[in-house]
Amino acid sequence: MKRMGMRGYGGWAGKVLRVDLSTGRCWTEDTIERYKAYLGGTGIGYKVMWDEVPAGTKPFDPENRIIFAVGPLAGTGAPCNGRTAVTTLWPTCWPEPLVASGHMGGQFAAKLKYAGYDAVVIQGKAAHPVWLMIADQKVEIRDARGIWGQGIRGATAAISGIMGTDAVVAAIGQAGENLVPMSVVMSSVSHSAGGVGSVMGSKKLKAIGVRGSGSIRIEGRKEDWEKLIKYHLTLLGANNQHVVPNSPQPWAEFDNPTSRWNASPGRSWGASAYPVDTGTCDPRDTNRIAYRSNNAAFFLGDIAWRYTVRGNGCTSCPIRCHTMLKVPPVTAKYGISAVGQNTCTGLLFGAAFFKEFPDGPRGMARLEACMVGMNLADDLGIWCNYMQVQRDFKKLYYGGVVEKKLDAREFRSYSWKKYEQGDPAFLFELLPRIAEKKGELGTALGQGTGYMLERWSLSEEEWGKDKDLAYWKMGHPRHHASEDSGQCGLLINLVYNRDPTCHAHTNFLRNGLPLPVQKKIAAEIWGSAEAVDAVGEYKPMHPSKARMAKWSLLRKELHDSLSLCSWMAPWAASPLREREYRGDVSIESMLYKLATGDDKDRGELDQIAERIFLLHRALTIRAMGTKEMRVRHDKIPEWVFTDKSGRPPYTKGTTHLDRNDVQTALDMFYDELGWDRATGAPTRGTYRKFGLGSIAEALAKRNLVPE
Amino acid sequence: MKGRSEKNDRTGREDAAAERAAALIREKSSAGRLVSESEIISLLEEERRKCPDSLFTRLPDENEDVHRLSGAGSHFYYSSRHMTEIYARLLLLKLEGPLRLIAETVRRNSCACRRPVPLDLFTQPPFNLTRQEVLDSLAEMSRTEGWEDIAVASTSASVVFLYSRAHLETGHAEMLAEWLDVGQVQNP
Ligand code: SF4
Repeated sequence: MKRMGMRGYGGWAGKVLRVDLSTGRCWTEDTIERYKAYLGGTGIGYKVMWDEVPAGTKPFDPENRIIFAVGPLAGTGAPCNGRTAVTTLWPTCWPEPLVASGHMGGQFAAKLKYAGYDAVVIQGKAAHPVWLMIADQKVEIRDARGIWGQGIRGATAAISGIMGTDAVVAAIGQAGENLVPMSVVMSSVSHSAGGVGSVMGSKKLKAIGVRGSGSIRIEGRKEDWEKLIKYHLTLLGANNQHVVPNSPQPWAEFDNPTSRWNASPGRSWGASAYPVDTGTCDPRDTNRIAYRSNNAAFFLGDIAWRYTVRGNGCTSCPIRCHTMLKVPPVTAKYGISAVGQNTCTGLLFGAAFFKEFPDGPRGMARLEACMVGMNLADDLGIWCNYMQVQRDFKKLYYGGVVEKKLDAREFRSYSWKKYEQGDPAFLFELLPRIAEKKGELGTALGQGTGYMLERWSLSEEEWGKDKDLAYWKMGHPRHHASEDSGQCGLLINLVYNRDPTCHAHTNFLRNGLPLPVQKKIAAEIWGSAEAVDAVGEYKPMHPSKARMAKWSLLRKELHDSLSLCSWMAPWAASPLREREYRGDVSIESMLYKLATGDDKDRGELDQIAERIFLLHRALTIRAMGTKEMRVRHDKIPEWVFTDKSGRPPYTKGTTHLDRNDVQTALDMFYDELGWDRATGAPTRGTYRKFGLGSIAEALAKRNLVPE
Repeated sequence: MKGRSEKNDRTGREDAAAERAAALIREKSSAGRLVSESEIISLLEEERRKCPDSLFTRLPDENEDVHRLSGAGSHFYYSSRHMTEIYARLLLLKLEGPLRLIAETVRRNSCACRRPVPLDLFTQPPFNLTRQEVLDSLAEMSRTEGWEDIAVASTSASVVFLYSRAHLETGHAEMLAEWLDVGQVQNP
């Protein structure tokens, strides 16, 4: 068996695979030489985008790159290491496409490393549909005309038939092929990176199949590594690092009904070969971590227990957050497989289109809608944009816009009665039309919110007034913004070009511990207990909230670059009473150091994370051609400042913020990041501090650095 | 000499009984149960052991993990190796009847955790009440003095939450119930 690693470093595989689909050329680069200062994942992605994709490039131009990159912890034994970052120009980013990344779990990241690569960078455009075969050093661009037009499942099966069951396939469905911006690439049945399917489609790249027979060298001593992994496992909670159970358990001091730790005696996986009782799941028993979370039951209600087969998930992750369901009635009723699996928004994909169901909000019809939604969306390869497409659809239909915008014939071609009655069969009418860009409605929904609003002459400002709609800006929704994390969430949501998919802040705030315990830990990490508030009891801005926002932002980039799951990391809290519920915020650097042999502590890794995010900001500034980020980019929707009750901000039972206070929050946040308060752009000194002096010079030539 | 050895024998038997009693407490705690004094006595008797007079003062004194709780007309024991105090108190409340169990749980959640709790919580382990028992208990509370603070909030998904007005304002509780039931699922 080959062992990877370069120049004395463990962790990395050592090579970045480059593929030019226009010329058919494949070659490799040295990871350490070119990208070590950016770790991997989004770090490699942003670096390639800065170096090689000039401002003004469009997502579907052959010059655009799509970068599948993993980090030094992918494929090791570190818990939750199975995430691949996919970076490119984001086709749903409105009004102009900017850089962003999606994140795919499953086994792809590990396989890529075992094949000997830290990343695959794709450029150009093939003359006809192709798929990329990576089998260790053997890399081939293969004809995909025989599988073009097939769904993800069919394409995956066909490629697995060629490469063997040991291969992992990441494929696009019809949505990606048809250049529908709301499309995904998907691997291992249910693990998708949203928003990038159409970029693959534009390059005529149907799939990437990877088989790897190598392994990853761990630089540290075997015993130390094993000890660290065992220690890390003791810090794990349930999914999203919720650290208390959702009902009282003998071992638990605290419980919280909204925790994803929903194991309990009497709650069983009802559709497994024999029912498995999830039990009390004492946190000290690390062999039972996989029983802690049943995400289907969390999202779909208790009815899901009966149909649960087990949990599924990514490499080296004991959480298994993709719940596998077996619902036999859907086969006879809808002609689909009885088995499906997914997590979070993937589980909710179908159900979220409906306002109501005949048997109530937690009944069988909703569960069936989820099964139909997963079956269709995960084969056609449609993205939900964190459920924005479903929220948009409901608002457009019930607001009468759909009827106005469609010609009578198209409008009548949909069974609206079925839709209003919550009949999951309606999804067979809607979803294929999105994937095929068929008709006005399918085409508009497939473009993503920003372009859909523009197409139908609707106002983005109006969209941003409706809190329930959850629209944020630039075509994307909020993702744990002020509605759940106060000023900290707001700040994180401002600086990305899509929804930020950052969970470092919200995993802590929703971990289930009582506020006084959270405050004690918060004071240790962010310097003050004022960093955290309870939802519905927000307090005005405080410098520690800006510190927490920056910390969370850096954690996100760090995890996306190391390949740790941002739905689990960081481990700021733990379920352990004997640690007074503290986690360990140095775990990333401990893992990094032992895996790679690169002696960097937490602060030094944070500096790399900051460099990575600075690059993201620089890319955004260069593409927008302005340094006026505070006004032009970091925009805030109106719903943040309003509340139905009419009560003033920071009174109990409200989550809206005060306008002046938010401006103070921005000042503090920019200060923390070393960005200019007036423009929101990083200063020359900040770029230099993080080794990006040449980027500062390049931007300064275009007057894009504040004086 | 004879007197001393008899005394030694008795002390040895008493020590053994006390150790056995502590082991029984741990066993029951690991199965998620409290043990009352009378239960300990009868369990020891079943094993033909004599219960020493000082047993119930010795148990918590000699075993760091063994703790006593009083309520429901008796004294109960649990081992903190297998059970937290908060869980043991919950089991005790259970013995004191559904009204106390529901009200005290709701009050603790509203006060210490600043949140309403879903009514269905009480139909799950370890509460294990039927929905009808919960509804009947709430109806009885509304007719009886001493429970006026226990109130109800419904979400847009028609899920009922309970809270204590002594610790949460109505508007606040309603907002939190909606957030906990609907908001968080739509904001995963
Ligand atoms: S928590 Fe879920 S998404 Fe994250 S690594 Fe584990 S299985 Fe994958």
